[in-house]
Amino acid sequence: MPFSKKSKTAFTDPLMSNNPISLQVLGICSALAVTTKLDTAVVMSLAVIVVLSVSNTVISILRKMIPAKVRIIVQLSVIASMVIFTDIVLKAFFYDISKQLSVFVALIITNCIIMGRAEAFAMQNRPGRSLLDGLGNGLGYGLILIGVAFFRELLGFGTIYNRQVIPESFYQAGYENMGLMVLSPGAFIILGLIVWAQRIIGKVEEE
Amino acid sequence: MHSNRYTLLFTAIITIVLASLLSLADSSLKEKFERNVDVDIKKNILGSLGFKASDDSPWTNEDVESIFQNSIVGFVVDNSGFVVKDKLPEDIDPSIDLDLFPIYKRVSNNITEGYSIPISGKGLWGTMYGYFSIEADGATAKGITFYSHIETPGLGGEVDKPWFQNNFVGKRFVDENGELIGIQTVKGQVDETSKEAYHLVDGISGATMTSRGLNQFLLKDLKLYDPYFSKIRNGKNS
Repeated sequence: MPFSKKSKTAFTDPLMSNNPISLQVLGICSALAVTTKLDTAVVMSLAVIVVLSVSNTVISILRKMIPAKVRIIVQLSVIASMVIFTDIVLKAFFYDISKQLSVFVALIITNCIIMGRAEAFAMQNRPGRSLLDGLGNGLGYGLILIGVAFFRELLGFGTIYNRQVIPESFYQAGYENMGLMVLSPGAFIILGLIVWAQRIIGKVEEE
Repeated sequence: MHSNRYTLLFTAIITIVLASLLSLADSSLKEKFERNVDVDIKKNILGSLGFKASDDSPWTNEDVESIFQNSIVGFVVDNSGFVVKDKLPEDIDPSIDLDLFPIYKRVSNNITEGYSIPISGKGLWGTMYGYFSIEADGATAKGITFYSHIETPGLGGEVDKPWFQNNFVGKRFVDENGELIGIQTVKGQVDETSKEAYHLVDGISGATMTSRGLNQFLLKDLKLYDPYFSKIRNGKNS
């Protein structure tokens, strides 16, 4: 089935030109919290992609039935249920990973991107398109998360995906891991630089 | 615009459907989850006692259970350091039996190769739970592991990483007079030439509160067990 242009942009826009983190500046809290190492950033991204696509699809299916007065609370119940479900599945089948992510999976509930997409997109669009929108936004979120985590892990620990990449001889020559990168300000700085670079490349004009 | 009646009915149905789906998922996966938790605790006891899975073939749940079955003996001591005969670690409820303490002993060919005790206490964000292992001499650390904590990943969360835990191996928690002094994590690296180095380990940068908490509760828990281990140190008990 060929996708219509609108469906395609629903998927591709959030990857780059309308990225939820770097352009809309949503979901910053988790982008700081889970990006000290790549492995947690990757699993967190996967969890968000799953939750976002499913919640978007479900809400889109229900969109004509949801009473306008209580729509936010209904969206929130669907999202919260999905997050708890993801958490249960992780605990049952990927116990070690779920331990690493600790509280952050539960905090997906409060991730503004998910509520934002439900309210702004899924409530007005068909289920298929909403699924694509969910996938796109999840991937867009994941890309930035992994980008930030890459630099923080490299500069903060000298490793990539827990493998040492900065050779021992560098350390002997006086190189030191950058402690700042491990702390939250490090994430803000990297994120700021990514946003800056993206706005220059994408020629984004502030409205 | 939907009527109030419809709104109420709709929210009621949504709530019931979502809640039933979640309870269904939870109850059907609960057994798996509980077994994971149980195996994880055993894995931690084994890890603290120096058992290690090889990198290319990690332990399955069955492996952990069988190694545990074959090499670990659990028993309980009271607050004067005497072994309580008719109790096993699984019989104690930590919230009621405040003066009974479980110990897991690694035994091979009837020779004791170390003791593992549960440790827990406040880190920065919440309670950390783990095991601390002691060599057969009752004075030297054999290992430390954590199976549950909510410290920041990459900072305090590093307590569950091998690089940090390996620092503890071989450190002594009693001074030259046989007094319990615990093991302290210090800021930065330990000066190995210092006289104090035998009870100090490298800290985690950016995790001062986690390290401080760990220092305190490790000492607190070692104190609880000291009546038993001081007997071992003095050769009064085997």
